[in-house]
Amino acid sequence: MLAKKTLARKEAPDGGAEDRRDALGVSRLSLAVGAGERAIPLLADVTVRVGRGETVGLVGESGSGKSLTARTALGMLPRGARATGSVTVSDVDVLSAGRKTLRDLRRTRASMIFQDPRASINPVRRIGDYLTEGLRARGVPARAAAERALDLLDQVGIRDPGSAVRRFPHEFSGGMLQRVVIAGALSTEPELLLADEPTTALDVTTQAEVIALLKNMQQVHGTGMLFVTHDLDLAAAICDRIYVMYAGRIVEESVSAALFTAPAHPYTRALLEASPSVHGDKVAIKAIKGRPRALAESPSGCSFRDRCPLAGDDCAASVPAHRPHGTSLVACLHPEQVTP
Amino acid sequence: MTLTIPALRARSARRRRRRPLIVSLAVAFLVLIAVTGLLAPVLAPHSPDATSLLNSLLPPGTEGYWLGTDSTGRDVLSRIMYGARLSLLAPLGVVLLSGVLGITIGLLAARAGGWADAVISRGMDIVFAFPSLLLAMLVVAVFGPGLTAPICALAVSYTPFVGRVVRSVALQEGARPYMESYRVMGFGELWVTLRHLLPNVMPVLIAQSALAFGYALVDLASLSYLGLGVRPPDADWGSMISQARSAILQGEPWSGLLPGLVVLLTVVSVNVLGEHLGGSIGRKQSEGV
Amino acid sequence: MARMLAAWIGKRALGALLTVLAASILIYGSLRLVPGDPVLAVAGGRRLTPEQVEALRHSYGLDRGFAQGYLAWIGDALRLDLGTSLNYQTGVTSLITGRLGVSGLLILYSATLAIVFGSAVALVSAVKGGLVNRIATIAVAVTTATPSFVSAIGLLALFSVGLGWFPATGAGTGPADRLWHLTLPATAMAIVAFGVLARVGNAAFAEELGREHVEAARSRGASGAAVIRRHVVRNALAPMLTIVGLLFASLFVGTAVVETAFGLDGVGSLLVSSVSRRDFPVVQGIALIAVLLFVVVNTLVDLAMPFIDPRVTVGGLSR
Repeated sequence: MLAKKTLARKEAPDGGAEDRRDALGVSRLSLAVGAGERAIPLLADVTVRVGRGETVGLVGESGSGKSLTARTALGMLPRGARATGSVTVSDVDVLSAGRKTLRDLRRTRASMIFQDPRASINPVRRIGDYLTEGLRARGVPARAAAERALDLLDQVGIRDPGSAVRRFPHEFSGGMLQRVVIAGALSTEPELLLADEPTTALDVTTQAEVIALLKNMQQVHGTGMLFVTHDLDLAAAICDRIYVMYAGRIVEESVSAALFTAPAHPYTRALLEASPSVHGDKVAIKAIKGRPRALAESPSGCSFRDRCPLAGDDCAASVPAHRPHGTSLVACLHPEQVTP
Repeated sequence: MTLTIPALRARSARRRRRRPLIVSLAVAFLVLIAVTGLLAPVLAPHSPDATSLLNSLLPPGTEGYWLGTDSTGRDVLSRIMYGARLSLLAPLGVVLLSGVLGITIGLLAARAGGWADAVISRGMDIVFAFPSLLLAMLVVAVFGPGLTAPICALAVSYTPFVGRVVRSVALQEGARPYMESYRVMGFGELWVTLRHLLPNVMPVLIAQSALAFGYALVDLASLSYLGLGVRPPDADWGSMISQARSAILQGEPWSGLLPGLVVLLTVVSVNVLGEHLGGSIGRKQSEGV
Repeated sequence: MARMLAAWIGKRALGALLTVLAASILIYGSLRLVPGDPVLAVAGGRRLTPEQVEALRHSYGLDRGFAQGYLAWIGDALRLDLGTSLNYQTGVTSLITGRLGVSGLLILYSATLAIVFGSAVALVSAVKGGLVNRIATIAVAVTTATPSFVSAIGLLALFSVGLGWFPATGAGTGPADRLWHLTLPATAMAIVAFGVLARVGNAAFAEELGREHVEAARSRGASGAAVIRRHVVRNALAPMLTIVGLLFASLFVGTAVVETAFGLDGVGSLLVSSVSRRDFPVVQGIALIAVLLFVVVNTLVDLAMPFIDPRVTVGGLSR
């Protein structure tokens, strides 16, 4: 935790005592399902922080636990899961919160945007219903909620909101539907937005529009955002800071700008080399050998060591602690071999 | 939760592959019933028709009459054993007939396509509109009581039940490229259908037939219960229950409840087996085995 | 849009009509399948004068060709004249309508029981999961396999003869007494239907519960009850309604067994006695009503689908 101070901390605009709190604070979070011998670990020692108004990326392959981490922020744990550590949203302690507190948190403080808008909106209810549901739940009168829905649709660039609220999800394109989801997510003026691969299911051209809209809305509303993605380039383009996750652990935390020039973890570098980059010169794309691991099936010591070209015998001894290297915090024993 | 966690999925998949205990129990019960029916003359302690007014309505547990006797003093255990013959053979006949009809019609519809398929499918819809028991009663009205006519009627009634799945599996399988290559190589339509389509249809046919067996057993027992099925001196479980009606009202329900319980357990077993077979087929298909 | 709607309704109605037409030809034609001289076979032990035999032959259209005979029969049926019962010597229509009160109430009563308890068990077991779900699964396996005559004797033995809570026979007089009399028969008939509904409902609810939009609704802070009502039950309505549609026809035929078991004087017991006495006009009349009920209810369910699930488009005629 101490090392965190090496990172530039972005203060909230008006800097009041109350507002100094982070939008999201995940600290040493571990998660497992089942008990005793048969327990399956899913997350280990995850620490993530999102300041107010800040955009933070959470990057990793599928199965790395990034979506799971985002969901714990809303108290949505898998069935039978036990969590240790702490998760706070604004000033609410999520892990110890009761059902009602969680509900209030979800209604007012934090919203989630899912990957596929077609799957995350109830297909048999009207768009207007979708938008007003959250507002009505927190006690906004029906008429005010309906007006707010129209206003929100207008804000996210849906033409003719008056007829849009009466239509059903299947009558919209994926991109338009994700705009509706964004409108719904912002309808409650949350302090934290959890975006779980919000553009992966969309066409490439719509992706850019939706990202621009998301960024814009986030700035207008002053919302902190945790942007979960497998796309390092995309994360770097829109995020202030980035966490890289591998097999249920955070392996590197860095300022976005520095991540490309000076990755500190071999996994981050491998990710960069595996994607055709528009930033650097043309280089051969290198695939990462092996397949991504979940925490439960990863080797002892450093989870990445069985796929890591730099791994030595020392890597098997214990899970590497996070330590500063350049502008990064990295969980690797040999960061100097990645970027001197 | 829609969040997929591979490690958890692997565990539940492992658990599913074990044959559940309940399926083994069901198979054991069905084998037991079939064997007692088959070997009834050897195993039954009494003649199923031996009446004895002195021994009427004995409760279960009586020495020599372990399941008691009915109102005319006939041994319930022996009658259940002998009753198993007709009670199981008749639905078996329904299943075999509807299986043959269903395969023929389903394959025909799938292979012929076009208007023939449309006519056959519509025909199956129409048969489906007749509740099976109603059709069975209609043929009893036409041909008089007995089991032969109802067996044929039920076979027709359950043909769509088999035919529809056969048709859909055959359509699916027939659309695969290897079928086309056989045809290009000059193999006849009939040969391709029998040699390659039929084996693919068999598993789903067996699963559907198991379920149809249960339905047919209930329908035929209902007919016998209503006095429209087997004629005395023949007896099945349904007619045993029918004959116990007055005893039940006298407060001596066992000669009716016990055959009822046997019907119930048989149908449960058949359903468990059928669903297990159907389920494992579904899994194999989704796993691409 | 309106034209598409009309065309779609027209197509559904035509299909229904076709089914009824085919089924009615079968029902009429069944008489001609009777071995030997149908009239003599049907007359059985009854003593009929030659004039009566001639009249019967004429009323069945046996003195004419099949098509003419059928048209005469179906024409009468359309005018609600289903012929004359051989056994009762009265009009079949009045015989049936006089018993429709008991049978109709019995069907509605048992359908209500099956729907209420079936969906409740389905919902609770799907939401709770675990042990509750396993118990419900066993209950469903047993109830779907219990023929109504077995549940009828079980209920009779226990609640009527054993405990004396309910009467064993008769339909009672007056509304409260009638409901009391019909409780056991309705329960006996509802047991299988309950199992079927609980199974289908459980599968539908469980599927909806696992969908992302349900998780998304929870992530927006919707309360548990609101999520269940607005996003789970609402979305599972379509498959449930389909099963309820199929339920009514099977309950109608199911009255045959249950009314016989409980000594009720309804359409079902009339069907049974008419089948065993080969009272053809009555059997044909009831069979026609059963098929009509099946087709009408299922067509209505089909027509209701686009309103229940907006994704089922009226234009989407391909099925």
